Amino acid sequence: MTEVGVGLWAMQSSATRPAPYPALYREFVDAAVLADELDFHAVWLAEHRLWYDGYCPALLHAQAAVAARTSRVRLGQAMLVAPQHDAHGLAANARTLNELSAGRLEFGLGLGHRDTEFDALGLRRDRRGRMFEEMLDELESVGARIWLGGMATPTLDRAARRGHSLMLPQTLYTNELQPLLEEYRSLGGAGTIGIMRDTWIESDPASAERARARIRAHYLEEAGAWWVLKGTVGFENPEQLERQLGRMDRASLIGQPEAIAEQLRADIAAGVEVFALRLSYDFTSPAELAEQLHRLAEQVVPLLRDAA
Amino acid sequence: MRLLLDPGACRTLDDVLRAGEAAWTHGLDGVVLGATDELPAPLVSAAALAARVPDILLAVEVAAGDRHPIELAEEAVITDTMAGGRLILAASPAPGFEERYGETLDLLRLGFAARPFRFEGEHWVVPGGIPQNVHNVEERIRVTPTPPRVRVELWGAGSGREEALARGLGHLAAESDSDEALAASWAAVDGSPWSVGLPRGRRLTWRGAEDALRRLRGGRDAFGQDWAAVTAPAEALEALAHVVRPRIQLDRLPPGLEQHWDETRPWLLPG
Repeated sequence: MTEVGVGLWAMQSSATRPAPYPALYREFVDAAVLADELDFHAVWLAEHRLWYDGYCPALLHAQAAVAARTSRVRLGQAMLVAPQHDAHGLAANARTLNELSAGRLEFGLGLGHRDTEFDALGLRRDRRGRMFEEMLDELESVGARIWLGGMATPTLDRAARRGHSLMLPQTLYTNELQPLLEEYRSLGGAGTIGIMRDTWIESDPASAERARARIRAHYLEEAGAWWVLKGTVGFENPEQLERQLGRMDRASLIGQPEAIAEQLRADIAAGVEVFALRLSYDFTSPAELAEQLHRLAEQVVPLLRDAA
Repeated sequence: MRLLLDPGACRTLDDVLRAGEAAWTHGLDGVVLGATDELPAPLVSAAALAARVPDILLAVEVAAGDRHPIELAEEAVITDTMAGGRLILAASPAPGFEERYGETLDLLRLGFAARPFRFEGEHWVVPGGIPQNVHNVEERIRVTPTPPRVRVELWGAGSGREEALARGLGHLAAESDSDEALAASWAAVDGSPWSVGLPRGRRLTWRGAEDALRRLRGGRDAFGQDWAAVTAPAEALEALAHVVRPRIQLDRLPPGLEQHWDETRPWLLPG
């Protein structure tokens, strides 16, 4: 059965939409309560640290408030940057949230990519895979479903070997899913397949194009400032940056509900079982977000009922 | 004197919420949460409680020094944000990591401030300056987001008294810390202008209203105690709220007032 969740909150007071942090966190909890009422599967959060906009560095603490205010919606991370945490402390946080929420944790773990974040904590980024492998035993003891983020062979292998689910990045095209999932299954992977998708529902083409430009600006900032593209950081490598943003744009789901549902059905046909559909960007106001959540629940999700 | 309710070992969300609601209903200043087997991360529990119970302070006792202080600072800031600035982070030395405690307090305070910093201590170097990290690495870092209030309220706790007091922090003492020992510690900093008004707390296990009054007044007179974290069962809260609390707010009460309370509220009499 296909499950549709929403995300990816990061509680950013960005250059695009500055806001008081307490308000951003309140807005997140209110939106999560609405997502619960609209019967979405999960609310997914994204983690980074030490950034000018206050990008949320402690997802499980933010989601504790959702645990206290809802009884059904699940609490996912896409992704929590596991190697930047102490294994014992992270397991304690996760165990506590899972207990407070009566088992609603969807424990989404990624490797991280920013040298700055690793360096601040005295860690080597190039050892993140090894560090992660070493902490997995303790994180598995929490007892929640674990999602591994990424699509590189070591991640597919780790997920398959240790019986974990996969949360695939939003940069993947639908036609790239099948070989990846075949690789995961051939390695013995039996977990659930999830994917993040950048989403915005607008029936009016002009409004859809405006949304596309705003989402592009969101990722241009992030990719330009952070992503290392062929050895160089984004803004210093405009050609690669443009190529990467073009890929994200082509993989995103922006437009009419029917068209979005069709793209989701193609993902489902390729093997996707869980969606983390991004509606929260660094520009999204609470009113826009509530409207998007309603459109998704009322205009798109019903069209998926007979898929898969 | 300010009173925090310690509910003891909370096992579920309902336990945590019940404690917060009890503190609120009885007009106590807040709760103090610690790690339990079922809920080993009290900051996460406090963030959940904050979403359901307004107004009260959320004191959270955490072990410090056994993991990177930046991670703890981030968790405290997010919890404080969820709580609208109601968090008191009471950090005690993690067993086996006592030698890192002072540096941990320093890094927490740097993490709560809004200026980029570099820290080179005996145990922690921030940022690490590791040669293999090459892209956009920083000389100085800032922990983000910014706390919801001017600063996060940070206290020492347990055996970290000397380090906390030396840094101008409040302190929550263990119940076993004697009046004499605490008086000596506070006397050592009492001449400093920055020590004025620092929170001076101690834990107390409920053994009846008369016993609580005696010990709280004793602590007040010996070392200036102005905070107490009281471990009390639900059936003791009426006496804590109606008998103990009003009697320890001022230095003394006008003659006849306590007798008036006792005569008009006989059902609340101690014992």
